[in-house]
Amino acid sequence: MVDSKQQWKAWLYLAPAIILLLVFTVWPIFNTVRMAFLENYSGLKAAAGMQFTFGIGNFLKVLEYRRFLQCLKNTCLLCVLTVPISTILALLIAVALNSIKFLQKGLQTVFFLPYVTNSIAIGMVFAAMFNVVGSFYGTENELVVTAGIINNVIEFFGGSHINWINYGSTYEANMFVMVVYIVWNALPFKILVLLGGLQSINKQYYDAAKVDGTPRRRVFTHITVPLLSPMLAYVIITGFIGGFKEYTSIVGIFGENMGPPDDAKRLNTMVGFIYDALETNSQGRASAAALILFGIILVVTLINNQVSKKRIHY
Amino acid sequence: MSGKVTMQEKDMQQVSAQQRIVKFAVKCMVYLFLIIMAVVVLFPFYWMIISSLKSLTEYRLSVPTFWPQKIMLSNYLEAFTTASLGRLFLNTMYVGVVSTLLSLVITILSAFAFARLEFKGRETLFACLLATMMIPGELFTITNYSTVTQLGWMNTYTVLIVPFLVSVFYIFLLRQNFMQIPNELYLAAKVDGSGDLKYLCKVMIPLSLPTLISITILKMMGAWNSYIWPRLVANDEAHRMITNGLRNAFTETTGDVNYPVQMAAVALVSAPLFLVFVFLRKYIMAGVSRSGIKG
Amino acid sequence: MKKRITALLLAAVLVMSLLAACGGQQPSASSKPDGSDETPADPSTSAQTVGNFAVPEGGYDGSAVTIKFYNTMGANLRAVLDAYIVEFNKLYPNITIEVTQVGNYDDVRDQISTEITVGNQPHIAYCYPDHVALYNLAKAVTTLDSMIDSKIEVKRADGSTEILGLTDEQKADFIEGYYNEGKQYGDGLMYTMPLSKSTEVLYYNKTFFEANNISVPTTWDELEAVCAKIKAIDPKSIPLGYDSEANWFITMCEQYKSPYTSASGDHFLFDNDQNHAFIKKFNEWYQKGYLTTQTLYGGYTSGLFTATNGIKSYMSIGSSAGATHQRPAAGADGSYPFEVGIATIPQVDASNKKVISQGPSLCIFQKSNPQEVLASWLFVKYLTTTVEFQAEFGMASGYVPVLKSVGENAVYADFIKSADGGNFISALSAKVCLEQESAYYTSPAFNGSSTARDQVGSLLTKCLPMTGSNIDAQIDKAFQDAIDECEYNT
Repeated sequence: MVDSKQQWKAWLYLAPAIILLLVFTVWPIFNTVRMAFLENYSGLKAAAGMQFTFGIGNFLKVLEYRRFLQCLKNTCLLCVLTVPISTILALLIAVALNSIKFLQKGLQTVFFLPYVTNSIAIGMVFAAMFNVVGSFYGTENELVVTAGIINNVIEFFGGSHINWINYGSTYEANMFVMVVYIVWNALPFKILVLLGGLQSINKQYYDAAKVDGTPRRRVFTHITVPLLSPMLAYVIITGFIGGFKEYTSIVGIFGENMGPPDDAKRLNTMVGFIYDALETNSQGRASAAALILFGIILVVTLINNQVSKKRIHY
Repeated sequence: MSGKVTMQEKDMQQVSAQQRIVKFAVKCMVYLFLIIMAVVVLFPFYWMIISSLKSLTEYRLSVPTFWPQKIMLSNYLEAFTTASLGRLFLNTMYVGVVSTLLSLVITILSAFAFARLEFKGRETLFACLLATMMIPGELFTITNYSTVTQLGWMNTYTVLIVPFLVSVFYIFLLRQNFMQIPNELYLAAKVDGSGDLKYLCKVMIPLSLPTLISITILKMMGAWNSYIWPRLVANDEAHRMITNGLRNAFTETTGDVNYPVQMAAVALVSAPLFLVFVFLRKYIMAGVSRSGIKG
Repeated sequence: MKKRITALLLAAVLVMSLLAACGGQQPSASSKPDGSDETPADPSTSAQTVGNFAVPEGGYDGSAVTIKFYNTMGANLRAVLDAYIVEFNKLYPNITIEVTQVGNYDDVRDQISTEITVGNQPHIAYCYPDHVALYNLAKAVTTLDSMIDSKIEVKRADGSTEILGLTDEQKADFIEGYYNEGKQYGDGLMYTMPLSKSTEVLYYNKTFFEANNISVPTTWDELEAVCAKIKAIDPKSIPLGYDSEANWFITMCEQYKSPYTSASGDHFLFDNDQNHAFIKKFNEWYQKGYLTTQTLYGGYTSGLFTATNGIKSYMSIGSSAGATHQRPAAGADGSYPFEVGIATIPQVDASNKKVISQGPSLCIFQKSNPQEVLASWLFVKYLTTTVEFQAEFGMASGYVPVLKSVGENAVYADFIKSADGGNFISALSAKVCLEQESAYYTSPAFNGSSTARDQVGSLLTKCLPMTGSNIDAQIDKAFQDAIDECEYNT
């Protein structure tokens, strides 16, 4: 039953958001769709008064890119790997942080610090951690100046250093670095959201469990996770959307090269492709790629929704 | 669970000693895990601070140093004198606070509508909203730029605040939180005859305070880190924001950025923000007072 | 859920049909900038008109205009500029110059290419050739020929006059390679004026070279011998570090006179035998441990050059504007661990030197009011032809002035005289740059030239460490890939 008073009230509450979204989000999206269907559209050429014909040429051009499948594969792989890992880690940290007493304040403050760290600093750190500086990888002439902290740790435990991101590094090593980096980048935000969610869980549930003497693990799986499920769903869905738009983190580590020196663009993603197109002012092609990406994310989100609907406990 | 039963039959003292050891071990594990993660998460912050104390030559070394060879406090002095930090700080504060407040109001109203009110097309509208998150925002820049130019908003605070007031991201987050609050409370309030707004202020907002504070933090940091849009639409002295000002002030003639001094400047302007966050943290962590609410 | 999908599909169909209905129409075409859709005056009507700008009859009429100038100047350069804006305003009090610093070079490019779409572009901007090629898609850059050749007299506030264009002496004073950079857009027209320039120079460890009696290499053959010698003395070294792979490739093309790119016709010409040959030669050198590059090394090669222990390099090829980064850190007593020498980079043919020309130029954008364009030109002309400004700007920035006569300026001459491999390393770098004034070249600029640059850079990087018996085939493949990427992106 939907009463009519609620109807107009709802729209009234939504009005400010909808008006702003129409102007600053929906209209640009409409424009994106338009540009995607104008062959070889370029904003600068349009400013010069050039006309473009209607067609699907931009989409074909995107699909015929020789690395298109590679871009798609990288995008999906990063998503599938990073979202679960970062979510589980963030959940564990949030729950642990919520359960302790001694040092609680200090540790909580520590987990807030990433928010006042400038993003440039985050990029710089990684070079120091994974970069092998030197020359000649894999030959007897090898001259290594520094192997990076991670390799120092590996060497400390008796292993030999791994070529993570430099010349001759493997795809798997590159991917590993990207996963670590993305997870690490995503952690603070997820911890913040989940911690906020944990605080909203009514303490009575835990008190009841305490009285019953329910073991920790059971409390976690039967009370914490279900009650936190709306926030978990949020973190996972936005994580997937963000994952599909992954680009800046790869530039952060590999630079505009988007791959190790011997295989530039190996780690390129869909959004990376869009940026490449924008570089030459080919907004038509960029828009077409964005719509293809949009289609993919939409399908994933719908599936995600379908699955989570059965599991979210509001 | 069966172990539990047998335990109760045994000597209570012995069990509690054993239990205490297990409990202690678990505690240790928890602390160890937290401390390791804290170190990992904190590393960039540490890097920011030590970078701000290095000389440019040291910063450019092939082998990065983990502690500055020579502590250059002069970077902080240079940061303070080169960029007009005061003005940049005030601009950013103003934009940050105003846009956070307005954004909170809009987000709360929308999230409430999506979480509590029944209206036709609610699910579809919400799905469409989520869909808008999926298109890379960079494609919007040109269109939005042309819109704000036509509205005559160039070089105003408005252009820095209004276009990004609505974030589907936050509406979604708050809606999830609102949905967790038992519906009975809402129905009870209706029976009591209190209006939606009163209910919103008295019950829902206090109950979702942690989430609202999270949104505040994220939104404020967004203002702090935004770069491309402000540069495009309000790059005059009167409205320039902190990140733009910092990037500009410490660019070397070769186009390189003098990172150590820039980091010093970043650390300087982040300090007050950090204090605010530590203060807000208390509210997130203190939990929500549930007095007067019978769940 | 099904409902939702249908709704979205419906929305999509609606949008599509709307699009089909309006076909190729563009809503944004109506909001076109007032300046950029101006059709250039018919060249036949006036002898003054060459390119897309016609000088109005009376030249600059003294009207009050505000000129927006975008650049990347940091605080120290800004001070120099501001001082000369004051001087300029003594001559033209009605021209207000509004300077905005817009991040770095890429930021300037992104900002302006967005602003052009609504006609909000500035009047003058710092530019690189690739940027101008991009702006030219919108036909937004004013060609300067008609103004350069104009003999119209302009009155100045101090009572004196000057001609609008450049005098023959002024033209001849420009270092030729720098001046010609404005004409590399395929149509022979002048689009930019050089402001201050840099190039690549060879930094070498003078102390080490003198101690071991090594002479500075002037050709690549000599360089090879020097590398071999250094390797023999210090096996645990990488004798040469080259900062920019892209510059290296393009410079080699220029030195060998083999094709790289062309601004008109078939753009990408770099896949040829000569280029394969030098790539293969450098590959062999890399295998012998003679050299490394920034990307391969994984850090600034200047870090290797300035190192005083561990693995070192004794030569480094990098930007002349970055001289201070090539100087080792001073000890506690203020002295440097070794002295740095600077020389012209090695050549294929020492009698026909070629070195790349880099650094900002200035371009002027189209505006509906021709007086704004003229005022912009007067300011650009003032900055690029005023010896005192060029001298001061050069000293403050580490870039090289674009005028030959700056060398005769008393202050600048003193600066050059102070040149040494320690405290006054910037002066030394400037001195070397000035001595090679006839060697500067620039490569063609078109939409896609920046892609070509990126591609040849990664091509060289990719090929250097190649090993195995089929190197030729690997190199062929790398060239083909690079060409494919270039072709795709245009």
